Amino acid sequence: MLYLRLAALILVRTTVRHWREKIGSYLLLLAIVAVGVGAFNGIRQASRSASANFGLFNQAISGQSDFLIESPTKTLSADVLYSLGPLSGDPDWHLVPVIEGSITSLDGDGEPQQQLRLVGLDLMGLANLPNLSEAKFDFGEDELTWYDWLGSENSVWIGRKTAEKLGFDEGEAIKFIASGRMREMVVRKIIGVESSSFPDDLVIADLPTAQLLLSRPNELSRIEVIIDRPELRENVDYLETIKSRIARYLPENLAVQPTQNRAADRAAITAAFRLNLTILSLIAILVGAYLILQALDAAVVRRRSEVATLISLGVSRGVLFLTFLLESAVIGSIGSVIGIGVGWLFAYLSAQMLADTVNALYFATTIEAISLTWMDCVFGLCLGFSFTLLAGWLPARDAMQTPPAQVLSRGDWSPGFSWLRNRWIGTVLLVLGSLLLLLPPFPLEAGGKMAVGGFLAAGCWILGAALLSGHLLVGLAGLLRSFSSSPTSRLACSRLHDGSSRHRLAVAGLVVAVGMVTGMFQMVDSFRGTIEQWFNVRFQAELYISERGVTGAGTINGIDPSVMSELVQDETIAYADIVYVSYANPPEGITVLSGVDMEAWSTTIRQLWLKPPGSLEPVEGSEPALISETFARRFGLLEGGSIELETTTGKKSVSPIGIYSDYGNEFGTAAVDISTWKEWTQSERPINVSLYLNEGSDINGVRDRLRLSYPGLDVRNAAELRGVALDIFEQTFKATSALNGIGLVVAFAGLLLGLLAIFDESSRTWLTLRHLGFSKNQFLLSAGLEGAGIGLGAWISGSLVGLALGWLLIFVINVQSFGWTLRWQVPMADFLTFGSLLVIAGFLSGLLAATYWSHKNK
Amino acid sequence: MTTTQSENAQYALSISSARKSFGTVQVLKGVDLGIEPGERIALMGPSGSGKSTLLNCISGIEKLDSGTITLHGQVISDLDGGGLEKLRRESIGYVFQSFHLLPTLTAFENIELPAQLINMPKDERREKVYHMLKSVGLSHRSDHKPDALSGGERQRVAIGRALIHSPGLVLADEPTGSLDTQSGEDVLALLEKLSVDQGVALLMVTHDRSSARICNRVISIQDGLLI
Repeated sequence: MLYLRLAALILVRTTVRHWREKIGSYLLLLAIVAVGVGAFNGIRQASRSASANFGLFNQAISGQSDFLIESPTKTLSADVLYSLGPLSGDPDWHLVPVIEGSITSLDGDGEPQQQLRLVGLDLMGLANLPNLSEAKFDFGEDELTWYDWLGSENSVWIGRKTAEKLGFDEGEAIKFIASGRMREMVVRKIIGVESSSFPDDLVIADLPTAQLLLSRPNELSRIEVIIDRPELRENVDYLETIKSRIARYLPENLAVQPTQNRAADRAAITAAFRLNLTILSLIAILVGAYLILQALDAAVVRRRSEVATLISLGVSRGVLFLTFLLESAVIGSIGSVIGIGVGWLFAYLSAQMLADTVNALYFATTIEAISLTWMDCVFGLCLGFSFTLLAGWLPARDAMQTPPAQVLSRGDWSPGFSWLRNRWIGTVLLVLGSLLLLLPPFPLEAGGKMAVGGFLAAGCWILGAALLSGHLLVGLAGLLRSFSSSPTSRLACSRLHDGSSRHRLAVAGLVVAVGMVTGMFQMVDSFRGTIEQWFNVRFQAELYISERGVTGAGTINGIDPSVMSELVQDETIAYADIVYVSYANPPEGITVLSGVDMEAWSTTIRQLWLKPPGSLEPVEGSEPALISETFARRFGLLEGGSIELETTTGKKSVSPIGIYSDYGNEFGTAAVDISTWKEWTQSERPINVSLYLNEGSDINGVRDRLRLSYPGLDVRNAAELRGVALDIFEQTFKATSALNGIGLVVAFAGLLLGLLAIFDESSRTWLTLRHLGFSKNQFLLSAGLEGAGIGLGAWISGSLVGLALGWLLIFVINVQSFGWTLRWQVPMADFLTFGSLLVIAGFLSGLLAATYWSHKNK
Repeated sequence: MTTTQSENAQYALSISSARKSFGTVQVLKGVDLGIEPGERIALMGPSGSGKSTLLNCISGIEKLDSGTITLHGQVISDLDGGGLEKLRRESIGYVFQSFHLLPTLTAFENIELPAQLINMPKDERREKVYHMLKSVGLSHRSDHKPDALSGGERQRVAIGRALIHSPGLVLADEPTGSLDTQSGEDVLALLEKLSVDQGVALLMVTHDRSSARICNRVISIQDGLLI
């Protein structure tokens, strides 16, 4: 208690006053904690907002539904309702059949404006639901006009935000495209006046209207079940009874599951993506913690004499330790609280970027309102607080060890961190990292895998390299010293060669950032190079056609089959490679089942083959399939075998005859013959087509003609498709680059603070040199060279660990997480440019720190 | 001079056969010394003779290799870290050549700090600080921070800080070393007056023979031995 009282006294009397005197520095420190916590929390909130919007209609309109009846392919025939006869009359629940699809509204020029979700449901039936009145949505002006829309073929309801965004009023017609056709819908009423829960992208229509507008007659997406007694929603036993009663009457190919599972499924699909972002944002906090360590260490150096005086006055070392720890705790707490707000701001700014990435990679989504939960606050606070406390530990320990006699008589004293001089810790970490690579990947919910060993190895290698970088700096400085002739460069080299722990700490912090950035350089470059190579081999057709306006690798909406059969009749077409896609359920998670022209794919269509068709023997009784590398790795089929997939018509076994490279999705694809696909999925809807034109055809001429004939379709030549795909690729790395940037900025701020502490600690040396006639310019130059030396040392060490990280990302983490192999490319020019920038930035940091020091010590 | 166990009790400070080395360099080679309560002693000697080391050993900042130091009947070498801190808080006042005032505290707060460290009740503490400020002639500068004070004023604050908690012994390491002549004279006069008024023993390290005039006794140290 006495300890705490004294620590509080010193904190109030000295520390807080130091803050007041150096308010700028401490605000910067708070900003660093806030940015670290903000980056972590912001990414969490933004990715949640960007990927959790799966928008069941009744969340917005009638409250929560309780169960979903779905098929494995997520589509079912409306005829299924007849087989559910025994269920529909039960008084304990209401069945709400739903169709859902993507449509794209067009602007005045007929260009795609916004992707929307059209949800069709039985509004008549819905009107009788008890929950609807609770939600306070009105579908008409009054009770009498509510049903006026009956019989209308294109009346829809849209939310207020959407109406405002698109500039439509009630009664106006919206042009849109769906399933490859251009159509019109009329805004019957704008709803959601009082509510903000109505999703931005939702358009509601009566079930038959939606089926018509989507060109998906007689089709449903799912049947939602709403229990009649909402007050029993929390009663697990009751819900379980209802579920088993429903399951009893369901045909074999349908399953009933609680609605929450759907949200969980969606979350699981993006789990690997979100996890990778979270790990990257944790790196931002780690680098931030390093910066705080630097800043608090600098504070200890500045206050060394004060600490010595306090010890000589009888203040115990424990109290001093506690005081410095309290200081970091206060910084951590205030910074984290600010960080919660910063996180919200980051989330707000980055949600669209992440939504675009999720859209491109996983499923159609829009941003939900950014929500800040209690968990976010608690998590952010705990994280910021504990990292700051951890960062404050070493400086506090350093302060505690101050020898008053030495400091009070000589003025400067630097104990340093002895562990930074120990080669063994770094070496052991490097070896440990290599051993951790032996850990198997951790399976995730949706069937993906998390490269636990790879990430742990990356952490160990970065830390090990950071600890060893000081030794490299000392050796490098020794080497450079032998070539130095001027007093300034000799002085700089000798100071670096001396290898104080602050020099080592400064270089270590930079090594973390450099390693991270150069590792990412290689991955992005290797990814880009591999994809370009894949494109060159895979995309040999002249034209590529897909549904217009619908973005996203995972958006399975499809093209109206009648449009497709009309299109492929075009006389310029020599061959049309039509592809069909649906979801299918493997034993765990979700995967993609594709229907292709097997004969053409096995002979004439070029692929980047890992195992060419025919190299694997199909298992008897299983359907022969061409599978993607991701699929093969995920289900252990690299050497052949078989796996059962659940489809609309039951469980089907597929067996690979060839394996191809595919960078389209991370869930894997199994391609079977079109006729089999149609039989299994009970669907006729193709997803896209590649057109091989007759020799001598004017490719762009045919493209333009088809665009005019089919305004609902996207018709692109190979170069245009390549451009779109590379845009998606760049999109996916935007968040990563932003986090890398934050890490790098924070690391340079750390270097600056580190150099300030180094110069503060060397005050006597500088003052002596001044007395010896060392000019201010010589001092500045020497300081700049010292900073440049740290930059150079960090670049060499960081590049070495960066190379190792590049290898790790490409051959371990990517293979384990996504199941694809990339061609390793080391961008030498980027490495050299980055190195030069580092040395220049180091030089400028040295100059800046020395200028500040000179100004302070005039 | 050798002090015996029975003699220790009568001394504010007694040192017996104190030895201290740094590596191969023997700094104290068997120092014996006794200081009575209220006695003022000047310790003189050339640089490197062991003056500051002796002071640091007395305050427990440095540990003796052998020998004993007894302060108010308490053997310092018997004390652990906490005991030494308590000893410094309660029984010793320190005056440095470079003042070493805490830069963020005002003159008042600097003097008040040791009293706070020993948990002196607030009213008593504040009254004592006001009184001390008056004694060192700085009542009008009580709210000023060290960087707004002259060298002489800073040392007077440091003397106030060393005496506020009524220690039995004040250690002064070249207290006039950083001051001009007039300020040095003022500080010496103050040290003498307060130590007489409070009956505090004073051990003052100095190079300046004239400074020694305020002391009852002058001792010289050379090559780690008192002569």
